Amino acid sequence: MSVNVIYFSIMTFSFRNILTIFRRAAYSKFNTLSGSELVPSISLLVPAYNEEVTVIENVKCLLTLNYPTYEVIVINDGSSDDTLGVLRREFGLEPLPNPEMRNSIDCQPINSVYYNPQYPHLYVIDKPNGGKADSLNAGINLSHYPLISSIDADSLLEKDALIRMARMYMENPEETVAIGGDVRIANGCVIENGAVKEISLPRKMWPMFQAVEYLKAFLGGRIGWSSINGLIIVSGAFGLFRKDYVIAVGGYRGGYPGEDMNIIIKLHRYMLENKLKYRIAFCPEAVCWTQAPDSYRILSNQRKRWGRGNLKNMIENYDMAFNPKYKVMGMLTMPYNIIFEALNPYFKITGLLALIGYTMLDMTHWQVLVVFWLINFLSGYLLSIGALLLEEIAFKRFSKISDLTRMMFYSAFKFFGYAQLGGLWRIQGHIQYLRNNNSWGTMTRQSWQEKSGNAKSA
Amino acid sequence: MDSHLTVAIYFIYICLGLIGAGMLLLFWFRIRALGIAKKTQMYLQKHQNYFIFVQTHLNGAAELQLPPGKLTKLERRVIQQKLIEWIEQFKGDLRDKLVKLCHDAGFVRDDIKLLDSLFYGRRISAAYRLGGMRAAEAVPRMLLMMEKQKYSPLTIVIARAIAKSAERGDQLKEMLHHLLRHGKPIHNMAADIVMETGLDASRLLLKLLEDENPDFVKVALVAMWGQAVPEVVPALDRLVGAEEDVRAEAVKLYLSSNPVLKDETIAELMANPDSEIRAEVAKTLGNMHAAGSIPLLRTALKDQNWRVRNNSAESLAKLGDTGFEVLCQVAKHGSGIERETALHHIEKTMLEESEHQKLDQMVAYNKKKLLYERYFGVSESKPVRQVAAVGGDYTA
Repeated sequence: MSVNVIYFSIMTFSFRNILTIFRRAAYSKFNTLSGSELVPSISLLVPAYNEEVTVIENVKCLLTLNYPTYEVIVINDGSSDDTLGVLRREFGLEPLPNPEMRNSIDCQPINSVYYNPQYPHLYVIDKPNGGKADSLNAGINLSHYPLISSIDADSLLEKDALIRMARMYMENPEETVAIGGDVRIANGCVIENGAVKEISLPRKMWPMFQAVEYLKAFLGGRIGWSSINGLIIVSGAFGLFRKDYVIAVGGYRGGYPGEDMNIIIKLHRYMLENKLKYRIAFCPEAVCWTQAPDSYRILSNQRKRWGRGNLKNMIENYDMAFNPKYKVMGMLTMPYNIIFEALNPYFKITGLLALIGYTMLDMTHWQVLVVFWLINFLSGYLLSIGALLLEEIAFKRFSKISDLTRMMFYSAFKFFGYAQLGGLWRIQGHIQYLRNNNSWGTMTRQSWQEKSGNAKSA
Repeated sequence: MDSHLTVAIYFIYICLGLIGAGMLLLFWFRIRALGIAKKTQMYLQKHQNYFIFVQTHLNGAAELQLPPGKLTKLERRVIQQKLIEWIEQFKGDLRDKLVKLCHDAGFVRDDIKLLDSLFYGRRISAAYRLGGMRAAEAVPRMLLMMEKQKYSPLTIVIARAIAKSAERGDQLKEMLHHLLRHGKPIHNMAADIVMETGLDASRLLLKLLEDENPDFVKVALVAMWGQAVPEVVPALDRLVGAEEDVRAEAVKLYLSSNPVLKDETIAELMANPDSEIRAEVAKTLGNMHAAGSIPLLRTALKDQNWRVRNNSAESLAKLGDTGFEVLCQVAKHGSGIERETALHHIEKTMLEESEHQKLDQMVAYNKKKLLYERYFGVSESKPVRQVAAVGGDYTA
């Protein structure tokens, strides 16, 4: 019951803020700002591991954003495919003889930095494989600007995404240490010239589940959490950070997944321990489109990895939970994440087993089991409907009635198997953690053109 | 147990009711949005000829009017949006004529009425459109709105509307006062907003520069970035020695006006504790071809701040053979961060300048090449390779 109270409270905060978000998105024009020298310069960091299929399209997309001053730093993290080769050929990149790596943060020594003066804002770092966090740290060491933005190499930014985030940063530059963007599922969309041309829902089942799941997590959850400054994660796919604070907390933590959550926890801890006024914000109108895993195997690998990362972060930072020194983070976010996110599947399983046991022993009636399940299902579905309402009020990205009905259907359908699988994957992730299995798991990429072709032909 | 079950069943009913209501709302929102989108398209199509007529008669003497016949509310809004779009694109007489059309059509009057609406959303959307229509008569009312408004992203929407519509400099100053009174360091955003004005911005900025309020001075400095005019130099002269708060911006602007700097001023500025100031001075010394400052730039290659080091090296590379030779010496005999910086800039200079086609540029390049070969040898085209070690330079 208490988890539902928290869920509904966070959703209420999201609803409280949604009209402001809608208005600021609708009544802010970016034509002057995107050509202004007054906007802060940003270094975009793009870690790439075996991304030869999608990386060119993504870099082209990033090089054509509506933003005055920025640089793109792709970090080839020891890919075993031809990621570096395709980049070098496409952009005519040559090694820089003496790359000026500033070594603000410890990271593995790099092999080389590639550059072509004809693309003055593009750098490619080649380094031995060291993980995503290590790649981001290497990118920070080369970056030249005061703000950094981490972007996954399998994601496409909307042209205005960066300027929207910068606007949010400029509204309160002193206190803003990080801003998260909205991540949406690109499967099913028509993509042309590195941009989403036509928005549509995925046709396959697994990406469709994730589409409604992301909507609920980002709109229903993160808007609310950010409004009370309790956001615990800025998605690794698209986030903006103040470089000086990222350096102050020692950069990204390597050697384990969940580095996106870890950096935010460290920022909260640093700011609160040093009694600095700050905010970690969420900008849902800054959108990044990402390829969602479309097969069971890849999705389960991803979720197990998330489970591992989440558990590691909770164990590393358990001292923050219930500690008033850490304000909302200590008294609400961390306890919520430990109890209702990390340990959630165990509570659900033990609760269910206990109920089944009681029912079998005839200590109570079977109706109790039905009521228990109905409460679980209906409260979850109500939250999903709430997230769809937030989407409809502020963004209206999916214009067809059929899209709406599909989203409603999948929001309900996910309680019949997918939600349970989510719990199972999380437990498997925890087992991997205990066994010290620290692999990233398999991720296969599909070309954007190929994906787009499929979407068009449907 | 039974009472718990009863509560649970009530909870289920509540959930069911809310889900049903939510679904109905969702369909209603969607159907309404589709209907509006369809009608908007239809009206845009219907008034295509009118829009062409307006565009072709913008230069004419005749007064422009709305299309004949009764227009629905949405139809009027579609036309208004189109006119606002054009007002943003055009300037001068063309814009004035469109603004007048908005007045004559009653769009301005209607939106001013909406500024008193009970609904906040309507007031904000009206303010946004009034800014688009450059409605000067709405400014006092919008200033009142700003005065009452808590700081939020929507404060900026109103501030922009006022900046676009204000007829007098004091209205802009009042807007700035309301915008900056919340104590947020949003000078860049404020400068961007001020520059939306249709008034003579340079006069206004000069006034702000002379103001007692340091926030106004900072906004003016930021807004004038990189475009200092001779008239502001006396004010900047004063501000360079002023409070810490505005000093960095003042120095930056002052330096961009290509001033003649005394040696002692240069030395004083290069020793300033603010790294931004040191970096700007280092950059300017290269542009000024101030060969006398080579020793200062040489020392600055060891600066703790990366930007200062980088700008110093860049400036040395610009200061002819002597400056370039200093870089080579540091690269050959120096150590640590100063050596890394020098190496990087030597290679950068050699790479960039090797492509010059003009004779004088080729001569300059060849001189540098000779110096380079003297220090690093002839054999390889890229002889000095080094990847920086993992270390502890903690400047961002």
